[in-house]
Amino acid sequence: MEVGLLMLAGGIAAGAFGSILGLGGGLLIVPLLTLGFGLPLREAVGVSLVCVIVTSSASAGVYLQRRQANLRLGMVLELFTAAGAVVGGAVAFLIDERLLAALFALLLVYVAVTMLQALRQPAEEPATDDETPPHAHLAGEPRADRGTRQPGITEQDGGLVAGLGGPGYEVERLPAAALGSVGAGIASALLGIGGGLIKVPLMHLVLGVPLRVATATSNLMIGITASASALVYLIRGGIDAYVAGPTAVGVFVGASIGSRLGHRVGQRALRVLFVLVLVYTAIEMARRAAGIA
Amino acid sequence: MTPGPHATALEPALARVLQAGTYLSIGLVAVGSELLISAGGSPLAGGPALSLSRLPADLLALRPEGFLWLGVLGIVLTPALRVVTALLGFWRRGERAMAVVATLILAVVAAGVVSGLLTG
Repeated sequence: MEVGLLMLAGGIAAGAFGSILGLGGGLLIVPLLTLGFGLPLREAVGVSLVCVIVTSSASAGVYLQRRQANLRLGMVLELFTAAGAVVGGAVAFLIDERLLAALFALLLVYVAVTMLQALRQPAEEPATDDETPPHAHLAGEPRADRGTRQPGITEQDGGLVAGLGGPGYEVERLPAAALGSVGAGIASALLGIGGGLIKVPLMHLVLGVPLRVATATSNLMIGITASASALVYLIRGGIDAYVAGPTAVGVFVGASIGSRLGHRVGQRALRVLFVLVLVYTAIEMARRAAGIA
Repeated sequence: MTPGPHATALEPALARVLQAGTYLSIGLVAVGSELLISAGGSPLAGGPALSLSRLPADLLALRPEGFLWLGVLGIVLTPALRVVTALLGFWRRGERAMAVVATLILAVVAAGVVSGLLTG
């Protein structure tokens, strides 16, 4: 009974932290289950994928209702993320768990460094508030001059790619984004993460999608991406329902709490604490990869 | 340049599918977790493998694994149900290319299932 409640509590903490920091739960659930409860890494990844789908589906529903997510762009890209996820799901059962641990440690270090860089940015320039696609600055001309789309305009008005833009922006360099999406899908399936760390910069920096739209669209894509690989894990016995149950409920409750508390919590102190947790977790994962844990 | 007749209906319909699927599935998982924890079972004991044929009997007997597996299946399949709903929506709106994209996504997911069955 105690273990079940601890798993539930751990899920709540992971969901709340992930929601407040905008990282999703996957990054925290895998270390929680492996380092905290001693689960094999591959099994933890399978459970994490289930949790990632829960939070993605719940938040994507809200984003779709508010029309913040670009449905058409998301669906075109998720074709590639899903393909990557299927490949990643199959590869995950072929490679050594120590290699998976090493990859996860690298991911944690990358996120910790990114968060440290964000902490050094002046408070008046929060990156997440930049609604303007970076290409607009680079090109030196307002994107609105190149024509805008109104919401609801369909592909019949100018072909599939022309129909992927939104109000105030057009989509560029789709092949590069498609390739990156395959990589995001593989990473998601191997490490049990949503892959927003890859998808959001990809859409914002490569495609020129405004950051808020990219974040909302990434959330939409995460569901089917994780679903494609979770089905592979499910069929191959990589998901334990006894572990997935309490953890998923905890993450769902925690994410709901986090979304309500997020704006009231001091982000800076929380991020510093989180970076420390990430560094500690990365060291433990690296030790596991080296076979000394 | 005018939206199709169903242009305003697609996103809210998809949102409803995602939210209903998530809440229903997480409800089932919560019931299963409660049954498991209140019976003194440990999640680390290793749950039984998924068996679709045993699922109805497990549910009728109020065994935790029945609710847990049905909930997990619901969670995993909800995004695919969203794609199916989008496929139907795009088809009705005459957006054939997007309907093809949705079909291809489902084909990729199905390919994953088949590959899992073949190699599992």
